[in-house]
Amino acid sequence: MNPLSINRRHFFGRTATGIGGAALTSLLNENLFAKPKLPDLLSGQPGIPHFTPKVKRVIYMFQSGAPSQVDLFDHKPSLEKLTEKELPDSIRKGQRLTGMTSRQKSFRAAKSFSPFHPHGQSGTQISDLLPWHSKIVDDMCLIRSMHTEAINHDPAITFFQTGHQQPGRPSTGAWASYGLGSANKDLPAFVVLLSKNTDPQAQPIYARLWGSGFLPSNHQGVKFRSGNNPVLYLKDPTGDTPKGRRQLLDSLSELNQIRQAETGNPEINTRIAAYEMAHRMQMSVPNLTDLSKEPESTFKLYGEEARTPGSHAANCLLARRLCERGVRFIQLYHRGWDHHSNIPGRHPKITKETDQGSAALVMDLKERGLLNDTLIIWGGEFGRTVYRQGGNAKSFGRDHHPRCFSIWLAGGGVKGGITHGETDDWCYNIAKDPVHVHDLNATIQHLMGIDHERLTYRYQGRDYRLTDVHGKVVKEVLS
Amino acid sequence: MLLAACAFPAPATPVIFNRDIRPVLSNNCYQCHGPDSAARKANLRLDREANSRAELKSGSSAIVPGNLEDSELIYRITTSDVDEKMPPADSHRKLTPQQIETLKQWVKQGAKYEKHWSLIPPQAAPLPIVKQVDWPRNGIDHFVLARLETDGLKPAPAADKATLLRRVSFDLIGLPPTLKELDTFIADKSPKAFEKVVDRLLASPRYGEHMARYWLDAARYADTNGYQYDTHRNMWPWRDWVINAYNRNLPFDQFTIEQLAGDLLPKATLQQKVATGFNRNHPITIEGGIIPEEYRTEYVIDRVTTTAQVWMGMSFLCARCHDHKFDPISQKEFYQFMAFFNQVPERGNSGFTPNIKVPAAGLAKITADLAAAEQSLKNREQAITAAQTKWEKTFKTEPTQAAWTPLKPVKTTGGNGTSFKLLPDGSTLVGGKSPASEVYTIRLHTKATGITALRLEALTHPSLPHGGAGRAFNSNFVLSEFEADASPSIRDSQRHAIKFASVAADYSQRNYHINTTIDGKPNTGWAVDGPTKKENRAAIFIATKPFGFKGGTDLIVRLRFHFGGHHSIGRFRISFTESASPALNDTLSIPQIAALPSAKRTAQQLKRSRDHFLRTAAPPEDKALHVKITALRTQQQKLKSAGSTTMIMADMANPRKTYVLHRGQYDQKREEVSVGTPAALGTLPEDAPRNRLGLARWLVNGKHPLTARVAVNREWQRLFGEGLVKSTEEFGTQGDWPSHPALLDWLAVHFTGSGWNTKALLKLIVTSATYRQSSRTTPALLSRDPENRLLTRGPRHRLDAEVIRDTTLAVSGLLVERVGGPSVYPYHPKGLWMELNNRPNYSRAYKQDTGDKLYRRSLYTYWKRTVPPPSMATFDAPEREFCLVRRSRTNTPLQAFVMLHDPQFIEAARHLAKHMMDASKKPEDQLVYGFRLATSRLPNEREKSVLNGLFKERLAFYKKEPKAAKALLSVGESRRQENLPEVDHAAWITVARALLNLSETITKN
Repeated sequence: MNPLSINRRHFFGRTATGIGGAALTSLLNENLFAKPKLPDLLSGQPGIPHFTPKVKRVIYMFQSGAPSQVDLFDHKPSLEKLTEKELPDSIRKGQRLTGMTSRQKSFRAAKSFSPFHPHGQSGTQISDLLPWHSKIVDDMCLIRSMHTEAINHDPAITFFQTGHQQPGRPSTGAWASYGLGSANKDLPAFVVLLSKNTDPQAQPIYARLWGSGFLPSNHQGVKFRSGNNPVLYLKDPTGDTPKGRRQLLDSLSELNQIRQAETGNPEINTRIAAYEMAHRMQMSVPNLTDLSKEPESTFKLYGEEARTPGSHAANCLLARRLCERGVRFIQLYHRGWDHHSNIPGRHPKITKETDQGSAALVMDLKERGLLNDTLIIWGGEFGRTVYRQGGNAKSFGRDHHPRCFSIWLAGGGVKGGITHGETDDWCYNIAKDPVHVHDLNATIQHLMGIDHERLTYRYQGRDYRLTDVHGKVVKEVLS
Repeated sequence: MLLAACAFPAPATPVIFNRDIRPVLSNNCYQCHGPDSAARKANLRLDREANSRAELKSGSSAIVPGNLEDSELIYRITTSDVDEKMPPADSHRKLTPQQIETLKQWVKQGAKYEKHWSLIPPQAAPLPIVKQVDWPRNGIDHFVLARLETDGLKPAPAADKATLLRRVSFDLIGLPPTLKELDTFIADKSPKAFEKVVDRLLASPRYGEHMARYWLDAARYADTNGYQYDTHRNMWPWRDWVINAYNRNLPFDQFTIEQLAGDLLPKATLQQKVATGFNRNHPITIEGGIIPEEYRTEYVIDRVTTTAQVWMGMSFLCARCHDHKFDPISQKEFYQFMAFFNQVPERGNSGFTPNIKVPAAGLAKITADLAAAEQSLKNREQAITAAQTKWEKTFKTEPTQAAWTPLKPVKTTGGNGTSFKLLPDGSTLVGGKSPASEVYTIRLHTKATGITALRLEALTHPSLPHGGAGRAFNSNFVLSEFEADASPSIRDSQRHAIKFASVAADYSQRNYHINTTIDGKPNTGWAVDGPTKKENRAAIFIATKPFGFKGGTDLIVRLRFHFGGHHSIGRFRISFTESASPALNDTLSIPQIAALPSAKRTAQQLKRSRDHFLRTAAPPEDKALHVKITALRTQQQKLKSAGSTTMIMADMANPRKTYVLHRGQYDQKREEVSVGTPAALGTLPEDAPRNRLGLARWLVNGKHPLTARVAVNREWQRLFGEGLVKSTEEFGTQGDWPSHPALLDWLAVHFTGSGWNTKALLKLIVTSATYRQSSRTTPALLSRDPENRLLTRGPRHRLDAEVIRDTTLAVSGLLVERVGGPSVYPYHPKGLWMELNNRPNYSRAYKQDTGDKLYRRSLYTYWKRTVPPPSMATFDAPEREFCLVRRSRTNTPLQAFVMLHDPQFIEAARHLAKHMMDASKKPEDQLVYGFRLATSRLPNEREKSVLNGLFKERLAFYKKEPKAAKALLSVGESRRQENLPEVDHAAWITVARALLNLSETITKN
């Protein structure tokens, strides 16, 4: 083997840690006193994408707490008759229940508390709770046959976002950043947006959901916070002028270069590059989050809520702006779907918070020609039970349900206006075309040009991947 | 493996199985032809020599030694027939031409197998002969130099003294040298100068802190419970044990035994029990709906994987679900190993027991002093009583009815399985089963006739969850309704409900007000923030009119708990009053109490009158004694609350059975197993206890093939940036081949032989010529040995997150050097905790400390797993949700933001600037002073001119914009040094910021 090619590959392989790329730069750069060619901070892995990607970026709108498929997406005329009937053992099949309803004596089915109607050319049935969704049904690929393994929030969200129920694995976005690197020079590859929570009983979320696990930690998601200071420590509390900041950076850069020439330490160049990118981010982020130049039509589309930083609508709008700037993986979280009690009272409130912004984002991207090469995913960590938790026929809750639930996709490479998979008459089990969490993750990676079996990372002697040793690309939903 | 192969190109002959062949087979073949019997294909096993020769179904053999043509393996890896080609295409694995060539060579040479190197106990080889005989300073250097000379390379020259001192200070105490330390070392021309420095550093209390910090990552230490709600826990007593253990140089074998099995040692001390907190550091959930056994299983498996990882550098985890694919660990052996850790009497949900109370230092002495003082007072009891009686006669007030009289229940009943125990103080302790919802029915009897109100006390008790007053796992309760009815004792038919006009409580949780206990609604109720406030509570219920029958009243009180989730009161007491204006507390004045005969006084009244007498009217010596006792009590109280309850390991009296879990699932129990170690690693001696103590001793018996190697490798990694085995976390067949196998073994044997002396090991390494090399490098050398695996130069890498912050604090003179104690809350962006979790009662905001606590070493920073300290997480600090023995090391723009904008760093720059200004009157000297503090060296002319330029630019700017100077000076909580002119100070701060941000400042080189 040609030693040079080994070294080159070696260097490129190490750029994630910031050493290799710079080493190569200094190797190629004989004149060390010249302004060094700075290394890329986030380049991907060699050979990736494995094939031509269908999408350049992903927006994942995670609905934490678990929306009810029964009341939103999975239209079940069969429940008209079955409602108020006891769920038969033949359907439950000994399915394990959460500690919250395992001691409940009766499991009466409750049909959707909200009517459904067909919409669009596809005639997709959507709950009246989602009037804006009904306008995008022809772009939506609705999967009604999702299923998962966990029955409680922490393990279920962790499973969705990292492919494993227990902490320790990299998140989907971190894998994308590691494999594909960054597609822009001024912003991180993986950005996280959290809605401000309004539900006092909402479940928390945690840094591991956008963490890098055993991957180098520069692949973890960068959380953009609502308000004036979106990126931690981005704002200069000294109130210095841009010119003053530049003076400091220039002096710093010059001193670092002197030292680099002196010691031959290639890592110094990487650090110079990091400071330069920080400087660019400092300019670009305020511009990114400044919505003042958005025309009125934007707020018509996303709703007046979009003017309130941290609202779901505002984050949807921000997602579009990040998308326009080439951020590779945009992860949104909206919390508060976990309605163990009074779902007929509480679900309408949260659908109102999320419906318009979610649909507006699809319409907006389409309008701007960005939907073709963007993948949108919308859904929670599991579904909710068809049977009532507590209460009575008018006011009741629904417990966690991992066996079947709905999510939707839209965008590049995905068939619009279709419904994939079916559940049984009780909306309790999958009747057709089950899609496992690993299958969904395999499909997301596939659309990004990644073969989920081949993007691996060696840790503790094992080649880990997002989909563990499972997962099949859901070919039926691909266009 | 490819990388290792690059750094150490395999010599043409002879092929060494462990170095050249095993990695290739393991990586490409073992998945289907390895130890995992369930996954094995074609009945071919390539991880064992005998099996590789066996006749296959086809009649051929995979390997026929010396015969390439007949070896099926060679045919399969070289054929172009897609159906027969190995590895198969769908495995996404491919052999390189070089690997195929090596395999051929190996078969040609006889295809000899070797046991995996790390499973053969280490043996110290004689020191290799070297040509450059004047270079080695100790044994390490022989191994390193011999390797270099084989490759025709030369070691680098020694680093200059300043660099060396800086390097070793970072490595041993995690802080840069002070200028005085620099001057002393540079001036010390004695041959022992460096050794003296090393001894000084190893004796510093900062050493234990620095060493502990690495151990915290491995032990997944945090101040919160992890998982969803990530609530607070107290494991810092364990953290302090670790610091202390390093500082007193506790031998590594004892360090191991106490952490894994301190509780099982004969006559285990409190501290030895605290040490076992190591295996209680794993996350614990409180999520409501979980299935407890599922999570309990995860905790036990976490202990298995962490223990295996930390002491044996092996990931046992693969064998949780099936026989290990690469290493000789069967699934059954995994669960045998798990049986050691499966005996803890713990629960899956809120499994915070077993635990132990750790009193604060000094509590014992205060308690003894207090007891002595109280005894002195007691000795004077008669005299004091007499004096007090005399004094009380001076008051002239009519006696008043005592406020509250406790009622002893005649009988109490509750839900199915609930039991009630009357305690001497008239309170009732609830035990037995705990139904989700409850109603307590309490029958009472009284002769009083003018009852105006009832009082309910909810009292804490150690037997209740977390020692609170409620029975819910989180110590809370929700009293939905309080009801009472009364009847004359002689005529039950006249029973009627008591109506209450009003209620009051000394505390109500938000949205759970006491008012709701008499609103007739079962879905509202009174709660008391049990998770955060474990205190006695009282509520009074004032009747619309006084009640009570002549001849006695039978009273029935019903406490209704309909909230669910076992939210009932765990200990209660009912009292009544006949006072015309009932109040929560005893409101009698001292003269009123004085008028009561002492037999009629309540305990509280007795105490109040006595205290008042002692305070105001007693003879001087009694007064003084009283003052002393009061002070001691306050101190005792303070220390008691400074003490902490921390989790420890313990084994159940009746061992829990352990089973092989099919696919690793908690509910798929198969064969029952008893404790045991994987056979490939050795077995417990016959006479060893079959528990964690036996296991711990086995790990450090000196014969274990892995323990010492793994330990010394981790230290090597700490000092050199990479371990001799680069995959610090993996010594199995999938791990990396050591760069210097003989050196690793020599060090391991040396370490064991020294009595597992960690300080001696570190001293040996840092005094070697290898360690003392300069880290300067050239493009040519970089291309030859990019990662310095051959040790052609000294170590150089970016400092860890904690060291960067500590260095900044040290350089600016802000660092507070105090060992141990509860974790602290330094600067932190506002709102970070609440934006992830704002659920009332399950969340809290980050409450930033003030004063000294802002400047403690970073290992004391409060570690919340779901929101790790952001400035450190940015520099690769882990979440601490699982064991980690090797951090990544990245460079990102976000790091620049931390260094430039975190108030901690700007404030430090302000202090550094002050020291620079104080150091001299001459700007050049001021500059040099600061530069040297930050980098431990003098700046050259170019550097000086750049900094000088910056200073002048900024000075001009701040002169024009004094407001901007003010803004800069106001960052941080510490007071500004007001004697310094603002504009100059601001300009110097900018220079100081540049210094703190230098790549060199945050690099060890």
